[in-house]
Amino acid sequence: MSDICVRFTAVSKKYPHFLLDNISLELPAGSILGFIGANGAGKSTTIRILMGLVRQDSGAVEVLGHSMPADQAAAKQKIGFVSEDMRLYGAATLAWHMSFVASIYPDWNQAYADKLVRRFDLKPQQKIKGLSHGQRVKAALLLALAHQPRLLVLDEPTTGLDPVARREVLAELMAVLADEERTILFSSHNTLDVEQISDRIAFIDRGRIIDFADKESLLDRWRRLRLVVPATAALPHLPGIVEVGGSDRLPVLTTSQFDPSVLSLCTDRGATVQAVDTMTLEEIFVANVQSRRELQPA
Amino acid sequence: MNYAMVRRLILKDWYLNRWLIMASVPAGLASLAIVLTGKPVAFLLCIILLCMIIIGVGAQLAMATTINERKEQTLAFVMSLPVSWREYTAAKILANLILFLIPWLPLTAGALCVLLLPGATRGLVPYTAIMSVEMLITTCLIVVAGIITESQAWTTVGIFCSSLGLNVLGYVFAHLRGISRYMWGAQVHWSPTAWFVLIGELLMVPLLLGLTFFVQSRKTDFL
Repeated sequence: MSDICVRFTAVSKKYPHFLLDNISLELPAGSILGFIGANGAGKSTTIRILMGLVRQDSGAVEVLGHSMPADQAAAKQKIGFVSEDMRLYGAATLAWHMSFVASIYPDWNQAYADKLVRRFDLKPQQKIKGLSHGQRVKAALLLALAHQPRLLVLDEPTTGLDPVARREVLAELMAVLADEERTILFSSHNTLDVEQISDRIAFIDRGRIIDFADKESLLDRWRRLRLVVPATAALPHLPGIVEVGGSDRLPVLTTSQFDPSVLSLCTDRGATVQAVDTMTLEEIFVANVQSRRELQPA
Repeated sequence: MNYAMVRRLILKDWYLNRWLIMASVPAGLASLAIVLTGKPVAFLLCIILLCMIIIGVGAQLAMATTINERKEQTLAFVMSLPVSWREYTAAKILANLILFLIPWLPLTAGALCVLLLPGATRGLVPYTAIMSVEMLITTCLIVVAGIITESQAWTTVGIFCSSLGLNVLGYVFAHLRGISRYMWGAQVHWSPTAWFVLIGELLMVPLLLGLTFFVQSRKTDFL
């Protein structure tokens, strides 16, 4: 089997009011992809195609060496899936769910499941309908983790969680990351969560992947420059400028292609660099989306 | 086809609907017992209650196993398991059929036995058998509507139409010469007409379920 865990090649899917357009991405085994997009950007559609639940109109999807959706049953044997809109059976207990899932996956680890029950402070004999939203998410995460999947697909799992439950879920995910063989796809519109756990980032907007890079290189190449431009000098043309704010004299430039040579370029043109600000993932995401939308209005 | 997975999904539906199924058998048998009182009104009451129980179980089962799974968002959980849509559809069809047969078989057998008791109108046996199978078809239709449309509204329309169809067909069958002629007789008489209707009904069951497989195989989106 190849080292590529997930491979999307020119995948498209058309709905009456939405187009997932020519998605191509590769996720190597052991990597953690943060999949960021606004509501309706195409995250869930992409994940449903990945899981074989929606058939793409064109393009190829390969997950753990299996072609999707044709080979989905074999692929899902090694996938753990938790989605914000996924529910467990309200009338059944967590213990029943655990025994049901354990009967399906040969790699079910009961000791680990029991450990997660304690760590998440869950009661196996309690019916799912009696659990809070946070407890339900933790229960779903427990079921997804305890069969020790090679690929963990998390579609906005922290949405709607209170800060304590969110922290617990993220902490468990961080613990899971210790397994370097496990690949994780973590979709969210909460960039803070994604920033904490991911080593790769993909931005999706209006059905298109608009950026896909290592987290560190992404954070490194996005900067906000605060300049002072004297009346005698012109605003320097810098590479990768996506946004120009501030005033003519005190412009604030956002660049997606920052490197130290940019600073000398500014000073060569007579401008003074007052500050070089790093940007959060959220700021990068918003600047990226806004600049693309300005270039390609809907 | 992963038969072990299909079996697990059927057992899951049994577990989640076991109280409905288990309660329907004694309830149905109790309504059958009413006829033993011998009063003329008891016969009518027994038929009404029995039909209500059998049709009600079929409709509730189809709703709970197909529509509610989507409505309550548990479908995503099931489909996250190593199961293909072919296996899911097979499991749904078989679960509904098997779970429905659990009350249907003893209640149909009970109704036929009651008609064979001394003093009973034995001629009603073929008609009762035909209407019992018609109720099985009604349930299959509701299951088909539930699986194919995945819509509560369309499944409710399916329940309404199949219940109406049951009454209309009951009237039509009761007025077929080959059935009506022997219906009130003291002996069981299986006329060619009665056989023709019964076999036709029985063939409808695999036809409907096969149609479900065909339509499901053409779907591209399952969630």
